[in-house]
Amino acid sequence: MQILEILISGITQGAVYCVVAVGLSLVYGASRILNFAHGSLYSLGGFLAWYLVVGGPGLPLWLAFLLILPVLALTGVVIERAIIRPLRGSDNWKINTIMVTLGLAFIIENGLQLVFGPGTRTIPPFVEGSLSIGGITITWYKLSIFVISLALVGTLELFLSSTRYGQAVRAVSQDMQGANQVGINVNQVFSTTFALSVVLTGVAGILLAPVFLVSPLGGWAPFLKAFVIVVLGGLGSTKGAFVAAFILAVLEAFVIFYIGPSWAMPAWLLMLIIVLMVRPKGLFGVWEN
Amino acid sequence: MSAKINATLAKIPSVFTGTGLKRDSMVYWAVVAGLALLGGLIGDSYVHHILILVFIWCIVIASWDLILGYAGIFNYAQLVFFTFGAYGSAMLSIYAGLTPLLAIAAAAGIGAVIGLIVAVPSLRLKGEYVALFTFAVHLALPPLIQQGKAIGMGGNTGLLGIPWLNLFGYQVSSIDKLTWYWVALAFGAVCVYLIYFIVLRGRMGLAFIAMRDADTFAQAIGVNEYKYKMLAFVVSAMFTAVAGGLYAHYTSVVTPKVLGTEFFLMAMVMLAIGGMGRFPGAVLGVFIVVIGNELLRSFDDYRLLLLGIAVVLTVIFLPNGVAGLFAKRK
Repeated sequence: MQILEILISGITQGAVYCVVAVGLSLVYGASRILNFAHGSLYSLGGFLAWYLVVGGPGLPLWLAFLLILPVLALTGVVIERAIIRPLRGSDNWKINTIMVTLGLAFIIENGLQLVFGPGTRTIPPFVEGSLSIGGITITWYKLSIFVISLALVGTLELFLSSTRYGQAVRAVSQDMQGANQVGINVNQVFSTTFALSVVLTGVAGILLAPVFLVSPLGGWAPFLKAFVIVVLGGLGSTKGAFVAAFILAVLEAFVIFYIGPSWAMPAWLLMLIIVLMVRPKGLFGVWEN
Repeated sequence: MSAKINATLAKIPSVFTGTGLKRDSMVYWAVVAGLALLGGLIGDSYVHHILILVFIWCIVIASWDLILGYAGIFNYAQLVFFTFGAYGSAMLSIYAGLTPLLAIAAAAGIGAVIGLIVAVPSLRLKGEYVALFTFAVHLALPPLIQQGKAIGMGGNTGLLGIPWLNLFGYQVSSIDKLTWYWVALAFGAVCVYLIYFIVLRGRMGLAFIAMRDADTFAQAIGVNEYKYKMLAFVVSAMFTAVAGGLYAHYTSVVTPKVLGTEFFLMAMVMLAIGGMGRFPGAVLGVFIVVIGNELLRSFDDYRLLLLGIAVVLTVIFLPNGVAGLFAKRK
């Protein structure tokens, strides 16, 4: 019974990690940029929600969601336009994008710290109570974020596979020059993927705010976790990220239960090393490196 | 074939082919001598303190420049090497009673080993994967230091009362800023000279640049990629650990704060503003940033934010740093 409970906790957690990971993978797939600010944008989502629901006007969470989504999308577009695009095609493009996204991560972190102070925050969950079946208990909140996360990832997959726009994103991922030649607006694809990516990670930050706490520096853990998931799943593969998120989150749940929560992060790093050593392509990787 | 190599060599500025080494060295040591004199003329111990930090940082940034700018390996574990140097040297002198100079020498050895340990997994990876892996090592270290309280690493409060440097029987206390100024300058000048003039102008440096700019060609003419990348890690980590040891004995305190955001950001800004792989860019970057950071002291709340903004702006508008302003070559 206990094992089943750990398993369930891992699976619900995994769905949210998957949302963060898919966002990271989407941008990397389309523009080959590893966004080091992805975790800070996760914190940004959490803080915006905290402000609207708890700290400021006291809105209901669903309304806060509706207000935050366009802000996150706009943030993504602005980041892409203002600091990523000017670097494209420059001499040391790769190292420069690493530098600016790391710099951006520190800007967001310290900005959040300045505005909201260094402490941790939490948001009350939007549903209380828990469901118990046959001795296994799971809170309604965890169940609902599980469903929301699955819906998000599913919608994204549907968008990528069956809309014309999603096909453009996939075309750019596979061959940027080719996509450009057949008339796809590559810049627009970059902006869109960036916007979607920020929305995804920000939403994950909001969903997990009641479970974990939100803090200005708290984005590095989800970022590293997302990266491990993306590497295990195979870069650019939504399906891979989906499977990997569940495997790794369940492993994490077992580590936390049997060894202790302070070992969760070292365990993720160990998994990262093992994955990179054993299968750098990932489970479903189509990655050329 | 050799004609082709010679043609390639002709395109590389003299900095990398060893010509003009004597002339450049003389200029370098003249500047160092000037700084040594300047130290005697400055009466303000606060200014001494700032410049001591500059000299220690110079070693760290020159080492980082070696691996990131010259060898083109996206290593972000530089402060990990610094931390091991600082803790290693501090613990050896506190617990084993080693004389600080010997402890710093031992720290260099520790740094080399840590460099090797970080290098082995990193060398199987490419590009941004190296960046992420090494940065993950950086992020994982503070919790490990807390766990290390059991073996005398002092946990969150760090290590206090690290012995002062002992030069030929003379105790150099942290208050004796003028002596420290010369000690730090001597260490900094020698390390920076070894990095830029001996290592990078020698066979190793040529191999680094060849791998960075044309790795397939480099391999075709027989550059052993694995060996030289490994050496880049080891040499870079070794010098950085020396800086760490020096820092520990200067401040006589080491805490996990050396892995905090502030130090990491400072290091990034120095390299970004100075310019990577273009001596003396990175070293100039250290001077600009440390002094600039002191001038920003009055905006303490916004300082880290401003440093972050400085990284982004310099990378976008000044992609080759101040070194790029002087260079005509693209």
